[in-house]
Amino acid sequence: MTAQTQQTPHDERALQRPPAEVRFADELERLRADDTGPRPPGWALSLQAARRFIMGDERLGIARKFVGDPSLIDRALVTLATNRGLMLVGVPGTAKSLLSELIAAAVSGDSTLTIQGGAATTEDQIKYSWNYALLVSEGPSTRSLVPAPLLRGMAEGKIVRFEEITRCPLEVQDCLLSPLSDRVLAIPELTGPESMVFAREGFNVIATANTRDRGVNEMSAALKRRFNFETVFPIADFDTELDLVHTEAARLLKQSGVEAPPRRELTEVLVTMFRELRTGTTGEGRTIDRPSTGMSTAEAVSVAHAVGLRGWFLRGEEGNAEDLVACLAGTVAKDNAEDLAHLRRYLEQQASQRRGPQWKALYRARHALPG
Amino acid sequence: MAVTFIGVRHHSPACARLVHRTIERLRPAYVLVEGPADFNERLDELLLGHEPPIAIFSHHRNGPLVHTAWSPLCAHSPEWVALNTGRACGAELRFIDLPVWHHAMAGRRNRYADADERYAEVTRRLCRELAVDGIDALWDHLFEIPDEADLAERLEAYFDLLRGESEAGSEDTARERYMARWIRAAEAAADGRPVVVVTGGFHTPALRALVAEPAADPDDGGWPQVPRPPEGSVGGSFLVPFSFRRLDSFSGYQSGMPSPEYYHRLWEHGPREAADGLTEAVVRRLRKRGVAVSTADLIAARALTEGLARLRGHRHPGRTDLLDGLVSALVTEDLEDPLPWSSRGPLRPDAHPVVAEMVAALSGDRTGRLHPDTPAPPLVERVRADLERLGLEGAEPVTLRLTDREDLERSRLLHRLRVLGVPGFDRESGPDTGTEEVLEEQWTLHPGEHRLPALIEAGAYGATPADAALAALEERAAEAGGDAAALADVLFDAVFCGCGELPDKIAESLSAGLDASPDIGALGRVLETMLALWRHDRVLGLARSPLPALVIERCVTRLLWLVESVRGGPAPAEPARLAAMAAVRDALLHAAEPIGLDREAALAVAARVGADPQVPPDLRGAAFGLCWALGEPADPARAVLGVAAPATLGDWLAGLFALAREQVLAAEETGERTVLTVLDTLIGELTEEEFLVALPALRQAFGYFPPREREIIARRLLELRGVRGSAGSLLRSARSLLRTTADPMALAEAGALEKTVDRLLTDEGLITT
Repeated sequence: MTAQTQQTPHDERALQRPPAEVRFADELERLRADDTGPRPPGWALSLQAARRFIMGDERLGIARKFVGDPSLIDRALVTLATNRGLMLVGVPGTAKSLLSELIAAAVSGDSTLTIQGGAATTEDQIKYSWNYALLVSEGPSTRSLVPAPLLRGMAEGKIVRFEEITRCPLEVQDCLLSPLSDRVLAIPELTGPESMVFAREGFNVIATANTRDRGVNEMSAALKRRFNFETVFPIADFDTELDLVHTEAARLLKQSGVEAPPRRELTEVLVTMFRELRTGTTGEGRTIDRPSTGMSTAEAVSVAHAVGLRGWFLRGEEGNAEDLVACLAGTVAKDNAEDLAHLRRYLEQQASQRRGPQWKALYRARHALPG
Repeated sequence: MAVTFIGVRHHSPACARLVHRTIERLRPAYVLVEGPADFNERLDELLLGHEPPIAIFSHHRNGPLVHTAWSPLCAHSPEWVALNTGRACGAELRFIDLPVWHHAMAGRRNRYADADERYAEVTRRLCRELAVDGIDALWDHLFEIPDEADLAERLEAYFDLLRGESEAGSEDTARERYMARWIRAAEAAADGRPVVVVTGGFHTPALRALVAEPAADPDDGGWPQVPRPPEGSVGGSFLVPFSFRRLDSFSGYQSGMPSPEYYHRLWEHGPREAADGLTEAVVRRLRKRGVAVSTADLIAARALTEGLARLRGHRHPGRTDLLDGLVSALVTEDLEDPLPWSSRGPLRPDAHPVVAEMVAALSGDRTGRLHPDTPAPPLVERVRADLERLGLEGAEPVTLRLTDREDLERSRLLHRLRVLGVPGFDRESGPDTGTEEVLEEQWTLHPGEHRLPALIEAGAYGATPADAALAALEERAAEAGGDAAALADVLFDAVFCGCGELPDKIAESLSAGLDASPDIGALGRVLETMLALWRHDRVLGLARSPLPALVIERCVTRLLWLVESVRGGPAPAEPARLAAMAAVRDALLHAAEPIGLDREAALAVAARVGADPQVPPDLRGAAFGLCWALGEPADPARAVLGVAAPATLGDWLAGLFALAREQVLAAEETGERTVLTVLDTLIGELTEEEFLVALPALRQAFGYFPPREREIIARRLLELRGVRGSAGSLLRSARSLLRTTADPMALAEAGALEKTVDRLLTDEGLITT
């Protein structure tokens, strides 16, 4: 960890996206220096300091990195200090992975012990595998053993991140059972004391799961019991979400070489629309049907980005309502014709009722929807 | 200064304790409490020895405008404690706030609501700074959990900050001016002895400033007058038993502190016992509902709660520590909605059952009881008088003719009492919706002791049977949610109770419910009935009135939406949804202009539905028929050819005939290539097997024509074959030909045998077909 934080600036610039502990190395350093609270054994920071790292602290110049209920962070941190793992669930695009990265960076100073779950994930990628050349020449030994994130996390007393755990086959998920309950991992190939790796203080697991493609229902009850569940919700506050979408879209557009910044009124229409479709109620309190896609903040950002790109590279100006409708079709109605109908109804019934030039333009542009 | 101001948060145990301590210490001459000043003459009534929660129920009626408000008091309310401790210390007690009929109180239903929207910006900043979720968690964090040593100073600083940074409305200013006059009068009357003022903390800084400045008002001497209700209106206040459930059900800016049961226990037993007792209550509730809660879960919950309390710097677990710990340990699933205690607002109906049980346990089901000597609310007397005036006191069956004015009034009174749940008024028969031919109602009346308690309870709904019934209906409409049948019941009850013009609140719940209803058939029935009432009703006085208009608008919008979402390809015709489509057509034909229905949008939906092959054929036919019936240009012959498959033809036609029967017949008079000619050709080309497949649906489709029109169709078909004359006589002779004396089973068997023989002969090459 220290090796990473001490990387030279030159190295950092070469990275597309350094891990959180590198990106926020100075903030972590300041928090550590200022930290007086009691630290759970094996933790790099106290719970209070870890919370400040994520929720921000103006006095110490710590930026707010996660927009959401503070109590969620409280529960997550306290959970990690107990003997249960933390399971972050939620619709796609609610910053679950970012949150798990931040927590791991705060708690262990290392967010790189990550297992990416998928249909092809095997126990080897979770626990350990072998350097086969050494295995053949020397037999099983600690030298020929190649530790995977779980083994490393247990041996070093760090947080292990397991992304998209529910996309792994059930039997693979269940290899977490004994590390989580008995805090020990057996390596039957080795003999003597090395055949059992006992977890050091500070080890725990943060798993994330997406409720849209394969819910947590397919997890075994035994494994569920070893996790505390935290649902991460889309941003509750309109202004916060609008600010986030607007700044992120502007940043992305700049990165893509677009000179015209996005129009705030249009972003406002976009965010309003996403929020109403997401919650299934309009600002006036009328119930509308929710589309099957998540309508997440991340998607709103990508739509705002696409709108700007379309306007700039097709016409050399900022994106307009027609671009928005064109880009929406691909986001809201990915592969479901029903969702297209939801969107069309929204444009017809809701957009027509709203005041403001952007809403009017949106309503006029409704014919740009395919089908 | 002789005046001690205590700014409180309503229903806060910490504030209640502060009030108790302060009054005991100062033994003041006057205790002034934020409460309806019109109740001052009857303060003794309040201290008879009731069992809280109770409420002072205030009502004000000015013509059709009814305003009711409650001032709820629980054992842990600072106001309740101020009154009781003040009386025990021998102080004079006064309520000093404006009565409900003053315009500054308009729209307020809960006098002791915190209306924290006024200072949302400040609290948001504080929440952010202290890393708590919202105002309720903030309050606990700052005041309920910490040591109470310097509570008064901290409260003062907090409320000064809130008041300093927010805009007080003109209502607040009016109330504060009035309260300040009472305080000045009390200060003068106390003559140097202490005066204690207990009001909402938001008002305290302003009151302190107002009292300190020299009296500007010339008439500011002596005790202030209590404003009378405006000319021509009536108002008053009564005590009613209240319940924690109702206390917790105020929503939006009317809401006070949540989870009354938790704060009650906090008041009675202190934080540790409150937390333990509630954990036990939650677990008991969950186990009763069959949710497994293991000892390991409880240990985990306890550990989390303690950990959270420590992280948040609480000396013992607070409400959110408890809830957060329990939810983390007990819910092993993703949640649909954010945790209800992380923000304000009512519990959503699809909340996780464990979360719902937790919230219910903390809300509690304690109900108050009034002392038996408490005067009854006006409704009780009013109902007695009305029953006597209308001759409904007896125990005999009553028959009412709704066309008779006086009988209609009797019917309405009985319906209102029925809606209020007062026992002993049973309706035996009568119209169900107001559109039938039935104009008589039969009732049986059972007077008895059991009516009185129910009436006192119902008194909380309002001062007169009409207001009370309306309030009760409002409650039911909100509870019905998206259940169209339940909403329809509310609607018809409203109609029978004579509430043709519903207030906004109930109309809102109704439309929200209709907007969420998934049932096409039920919505169609509601729409049909409401349209009939809107167009023709004279008996109940609903023609052209706003209630049916609103329902019609919402039903049409929702139906169009639902219809567009129906998928699933070929399916048998469903008469219920075709009837719903026909109702939409009627609404668009007869009410589009005055109600403001969007004809263009409807046509667009119909065009899309009609052209979508995924939609069941009957709906496609109906959608086509809708456009046609609304006068859009249509080419029905072409459309029929487009759905000519034997399995779908009949269902499509059922939809068409249900919606555009008249257009089909009218086109026959003029057109060359009409629906019937095309159909005739199509059916002629069907093989016998195909015909058998198509027949049941075709029969059902033509069932939409009444007999007379079927005769017209028959004549037309005969004409096509060059036969002229009375179709009726031809049909009759055809029927007599078909009528046979032989057993139809034998005939069918013979036909089948003949077919088999033909097939065998053909197969063997002995005959050619």
